[in-house]
Amino acid sequence: MEGTVFNIQRYSIDDGPGIRTTVFLKGCPLRCPWCSNPESQSFAPQLSYRYTSCLKCGACAAACPNGAIELLSDGLSIDREKCSACGTCVKACVNGALELKGSVMTVEQVWKVIRRDLVYYETSGGGVTCSGGEILSQPDFVAAIFEKCRGEGVHTCADTSGFGSREALDKILKYTDLVYFDLKHPDPKRHAELLGADATTVRSNLRYISEKGVALTLRVPLIPEYNNSAEDVDALARLARELAPGAAVSILPYHRYGESKYAAVGMKYALGALRENTEAELERAAAAFERCGFNCEVSR
Amino acid sequence: MSNTVNRNEIKAVRVLTPRLQALKAEWEAAAPQVYVDDTLLFTQSWKETEGLPVDIRWAKALEKRLLECPLLLRDGELIAGSLTKFIRGNGTLCAMKPREIMKMVESGKFDRKTSDISSTNIAPADLDALKADAEYWIEHMPKVSSVNKSVELEMGPGVFDLLFDRGMVFEGRGVRYEMDRGLFQNYSAYGGGVAQVSVKCVENGLNYVIGLCEKERERMMAEGDENSHGTAQFLRKYWLLKATVISCEAFIAYARRYAALAREMADSEARPERRRELLRIADACERVPAEPPRDFFEAVQCVRLYHLVCWKESSDRPEVPVGRLDQLLYPYYKADKDAGKITAQDAAELLGALWLKIRECENLVTIPREQRAAPGSLLPNITLCGTDADGRELTNEVSWLVLEAMAQIKLSEPAIYIRYSEKTPPEFIIHALECNREFGGGNPAFLSDALGTKRYLDRGVPIEDACNWNASGCLGYHLDSLEHMGGGHNISQLKVFELAMNDGFDPRTQKQLGPHTGDAREFTTFEQVNSAYYKQLEYFTPILRKFKLLSWSTEIAEGPMSGLRVAMQYEDCIPAGIASREGGARYPEGRACWLGSRGLVDLADSLAAVKKLVFTDKKTTMRELLDVCARNWENAEELRRLCLAAPKYGNDDDFADEIYDELSLRVPEIMQAEVDPLTGKKPLLFIGAAAGHVGIGSAIGALPNGREAGSPTCDAACSVSPGMDTNGPTAAINSATNDRYAYPYAGYAMNMKFSKSVLNTPEKLEKLGWLIKAFMKRDGWHVQFNIHSREELLDAREHPENHKNLLVRVGGYSAYFIDLPPGLQAEIVNRTMHEMV
Repeated sequence: MEGTVFNIQRYSIDDGPGIRTTVFLKGCPLRCPWCSNPESQSFAPQLSYRYTSCLKCGACAAACPNGAIELLSDGLSIDREKCSACGTCVKACVNGALELKGSVMTVEQVWKVIRRDLVYYETSGGGVTCSGGEILSQPDFVAAIFEKCRGEGVHTCADTSGFGSREALDKILKYTDLVYFDLKHPDPKRHAELLGADATTVRSNLRYISEKGVALTLRVPLIPEYNNSAEDVDALARLARELAPGAAVSILPYHRYGESKYAAVGMKYALGALRENTEAELERAAAAFERCGFNCEVSR
Repeated sequence: MSNTVNRNEIKAVRVLTPRLQALKAEWEAAAPQVYVDDTLLFTQSWKETEGLPVDIRWAKALEKRLLECPLLLRDGELIAGSLTKFIRGNGTLCAMKPREIMKMVESGKFDRKTSDISSTNIAPADLDALKADAEYWIEHMPKVSSVNKSVELEMGPGVFDLLFDRGMVFEGRGVRYEMDRGLFQNYSAYGGGVAQVSVKCVENGLNYVIGLCEKERERMMAEGDENSHGTAQFLRKYWLLKATVISCEAFIAYARRYAALAREMADSEARPERRRELLRIADACERVPAEPPRDFFEAVQCVRLYHLVCWKESSDRPEVPVGRLDQLLYPYYKADKDAGKITAQDAAELLGALWLKIRECENLVTIPREQRAAPGSLLPNITLCGTDADGRELTNEVSWLVLEAMAQIKLSEPAIYIRYSEKTPPEFIIHALECNREFGGGNPAFLSDALGTKRYLDRGVPIEDACNWNASGCLGYHLDSLEHMGGGHNISQLKVFELAMNDGFDPRTQKQLGPHTGDAREFTTFEQVNSAYYKQLEYFTPILRKFKLLSWSTEIAEGPMSGLRVAMQYEDCIPAGIASREGGARYPEGRACWLGSRGLVDLADSLAAVKKLVFTDKKTTMRELLDVCARNWENAEELRRLCLAAPKYGNDDDFADEIYDELSLRVPEIMQAEVDPLTGKKPLLFIGAAAGHVGIGSAIGALPNGREAGSPTCDAACSVSPGMDTNGPTAAINSATNDRYAYPYAGYAMNMKFSKSVLNTPEKLEKLGWLIKAFMKRDGWHVQFNIHSREELLDAREHPENHKNLLVRVGGYSAYFIDLPPGLQAEIVNRTMHEMV
């Protein structure tokens, strides 16, 4: 069983209880403009170029079999159409400026990384989180990883946007201890426009998970100008009460740590000059969820 | 004993009361002064005691200083005991290293061991007196080094080429050839080791110890002494016991001088409140250290006096650990609290007062700053928590209050070490991390309670003794009242490796220092590389051992004696009649046979690079790699980058870790292969860290791990090389902890750097607590965390004036970042920061 992974993060402390290893899968059907992992969106491996590490030696351009790289005076110009992400240039780069984002891994390979930190999971009540990308796009792979974890007594957390088939969801839920479920926008129309994903599927999956009684945390990315208004957060909280009344809620303040990664994989950051949330906005959002009966924390 | 802790009461304490704030501000603002009275008194005493037995001369020299040195009790001070007459004074003894002091006199630049090191002032009259004193000692010091003479007689002159100032196969101050040791062959009264606040002495009172000495003298005169019949040792013991009595009585008299001063000040004090405080000091100083303290206040006053008098007696290298302060003070605290005599707030203020008095102690140093082992470090370590012989966990309310004192006072020292066990209350660990985050400076550090005790048990020490260890020196530890540590002799593994790569020839000194182990440029297998290195190590180890033995044998013949140290180890030193530093301690191995090894991480990374690039991937050849190292990577940027990208220890990467593990097994096998002749026991092995890494780095050329010639080596024995760990903290810990090999005696500190954002919520602090727990579960020994942002460090390099209080953890100590030499600063900035985005 194989899947495409773009990062395995150890000592992951923001993706579930305890000390965890988070497996980030590559490929996502959504296009949230605030996405902080742009390299997770495409399903195929991608060449990433870190300008600050580039020695401008031109070894990569010489090595590229597709003629996709041109050395200019201020760095590389990469023709993404021509690039096949074959990795030849990465091997030629002596300073680690070029990197391939995403590689196909077997469950066994992933497990080899996971198992190195068993003592930390055990000590801290931690475990493994599969995140994305979108895990529902690679359900068999995630299910196989989680099945292996379950067999070894490792806690599993599935971090999902909820956009995927019921069948995919069921495969994963079978071995899942905790679900992290994104709640992004209250208005179905805006949801579809903004994210490129149908809200009905997401909501139906959320209700399904909730009714199944799997431990559930709702994660609400709070993005100024997108879902940050008093009306939006009230509507989100009411929606949450309707679909998943027993869930915990965690508010994720907007940050722009992902911005530099867009350029590296040849993408544009759509939220250019968006400001961060104010403290009052974060509190207002938390209060909205609390009024709807949730325990709500703001993730810092 | 169940120690229930009232957290709310602790949380509410304000350590820096207005009074302490004022005292702290006054100290910080005070111009540092060179203090000369003690050295003048010492010299005067030495002239007066000419002809007396040497132990008596040492005791008299302490007595003279304690009876005649000026006293200082500042307005507002709650406890008495100042090192000098200045608010911020720095002293030394000319007798120890007169030429180096003369250099300071001539240059007018007096270095201290702390911040703003070159701005110490001296009054013109004091300068003249110091000059005359240094001149006297230059004239009267031996013209030759008897250590060197004895070593030369037995080992030939070639051995000196290996020493710290020459080839630097052996490194550290203990193995310098050029040494300015004045009259004496060692640094201080403790022989390069430490004397600490002794719990047994505090609890029994020094009158008890004086009584023991006197009884023993009477007994031996009446019945003879079965330990020394018919030998000169009888007389040595006779005089040693007398010297011990002189020292103890001088200490008591010194305390009573403070009592008299406080009483006199009280007489003319108009403010009733202050008058009461002065009288309380007077009562306490009349009582302690002669008799046991009667309450918490007297116990704190007593601790202050012990720390101070040990410092004065040591004079030159006063690394005086405070020891297990929470265990010492808790019985007094609890009794007073139960009786309604004090509150947590009262105790917190007293601990704060003690903290300031300990921190005030500074001294002049004469080693150039960039060569200094521990810049800014005075090493008054405090140890907290731990388990007792029955496995009970001992964290108590005083442990909590000491943490508060550290966090609220925000000074570079004392450093706190927590003896971590599975039973340490998790909320205590989290609070310690919180304090670290607020305070910076990597303080407190965590030591494995189980491992510390186990190492003693493995040496055959019974559990009652074994469980009572505390942190001392920069990365050591020892048993209170039972053990004399100090004076390790180190080998630089990187120099050994460099020699192995050059057929025993040292490129820096252009001398054949080691045996011929083959031309490495012609090696065709990795095994040949490995084998050449181990052959060199096998050659140098017995030389180091013999060198240590011979140095020590002559040191003890001429070195200083400490009456207080005998008193503190009264159970063993008094019946034996042997001074602590001469082996009278119950467990003398730490003094006698401590061998050190430095540079393992760089060595493992270098071997990994050689194995990977030359023999596995065949990207370069031995010849090319060694040639490029020889010219310090000149025109070989690409090869250097390959070397930097080769597998590195600290990433949970088996390729590099297996090499590190093999070194961790085989180096001790070689260095501990033979028993130490002096003790008949296996030598203790120190796998060292901070103290030598700048020094040894300066003598070593470029290495295959990508390191440039002359730069510092990795700062700790199991920390990852700066910036080389890229798989996060669990991977680094997995590399560093491994139950496949037995840990050596000491060292093995793990420095980790975290960004504040990883610790900004209670949940994340809790997760770091679990990381420590897992570290200890995996048999880790010592871990400490630097918590700050990289921006902060970079800015501090640019604008030191804005970061005067930025504390960082280096090895076994915290220091002000702006005081560190540039190389060390760069290294700290480059340490990988574990940061989550």
